[in-house]
Amino acid sequence: MANGRILRLVRSGPERQALEAGQVDAVLDRATGAAFLLPAAHRALSSTAGQIANSVLAALPREDYQSLLGELEPVALAAGEVLYEPGERIRYVYFPNDGQVSLLTVVADRKALEVALVGREGMIGIPLALGAEASPVRALVQGSGSALRMKAASFREALKRCAPLRHELHRYAYTKLVQARQIAACNRFHPTEARLARCLLLIRDRVGSDQFRLTHEILANALGIRRVGVTNAAITLQRSKLISYRRGKIHVLDRKGLIAASCGCYEIIRNLAS
Amino acid sequence: MRPRKAKSRRAGPAVTTVMVMRLYIADNAPNSLKAIANLEAVCKEYLQDSFKLEIVDVLQFPLRALADGILVTPSLAKLSPSPTATIVGNLSDRVNLLQALGIRQ
Repeated sequence: MANGRILRLVRSGPERQALEAGQVDAVLDRATGAAFLLPAAHRALSSTAGQIANSVLAALPREDYQSLLGELEPVALAAGEVLYEPGERIRYVYFPNDGQVSLLTVVADRKALEVALVGREGMIGIPLALGAEASPVRALVQGSGSALRMKAASFREALKRCAPLRHELHRYAYTKLVQARQIAACNRFHPTEARLARCLLLIRDRVGSDQFRLTHEILANALGIRRVGVTNAAITLQRSKLISYRRGKIHVLDRKGLIAASCGCYEIIRNLAS
Repeated sequence: MRPRKAKSRRAGPAVTTVMVMRLYIADNAPNSLKAIANLEAVCKEYLQDSFKLEIVDVLQFPLRALADGILVTPSLAKLSPSPTATIVGNLSDRVNLLQALGIRQ
């Protein structure tokens, strides 16, 4: 229903005030006896009608999830978009439905190292769940998708009243902490090819496909090396016929072989996530 | 609830009047969920068990809402004790809500 018609149905009074304040979901038409949803309510209802894509939200008891819905706003995540800069006060937390967000630790000379990758299994804004106000990392959208976001103040309130949400986020944060420890050791001790294999396997699992797009820059950030290092390691994996890598398009040809070529960290991290 | 009964209850020192309300919502739409959460918080804090709340989904029962004079959702109708009142919106303005319900802070 067009907005103009909704406005004609509600010309004045407290109803009009509530409508203008964005507090109205539906308008009733006296003439036809029908109820019309406003566009925002329509979007919210159609996005929540199906399955809950985000694992943190999906793990909550139904009524807890529904109590959060009013505060959740659907947003698109565009590749290259920066959700947080390091040191910046967190304004929103994000529960991705799909796509991937890379958390990067930025060092003084503008180098960045990917310290975590967040997709539909997690939430961006963990510092808030642990009592901190600012993000220590840059959150950069790596693969486009969509998410449900919540204002920081609403999120704090939700945490107070919703024990299952607290529990779920603590569990997730703990998993991420153990993963980060594993990757810190991996980055220091394991050869580049094995780490590239580990990294590609983890992304493959997340994307759920043997083919995906990745730039050299993303991989260089993920592994903390220069682009030329990525090229050399990728050539080694290609020669062994484990992957093909052309123009940013990666095809995992032999998953078992790639696991054999990776360090044991892949299996350890995968087991943590499940 | 019959007024006579309420009157006799008022005579007892520990018994309070039951507030009867009807909240009109649209399924799980954002403002409707906010209104439910905001109203539940107020009921818990100020009314404890002395309230009756009926929730009407206008997407299922539009004619019923229209018959009650409701034009938009969420809307809350306070039916008793008198005076009756209707509050429109997601009930996030707590001061206004308490005032309309006649609850002293």
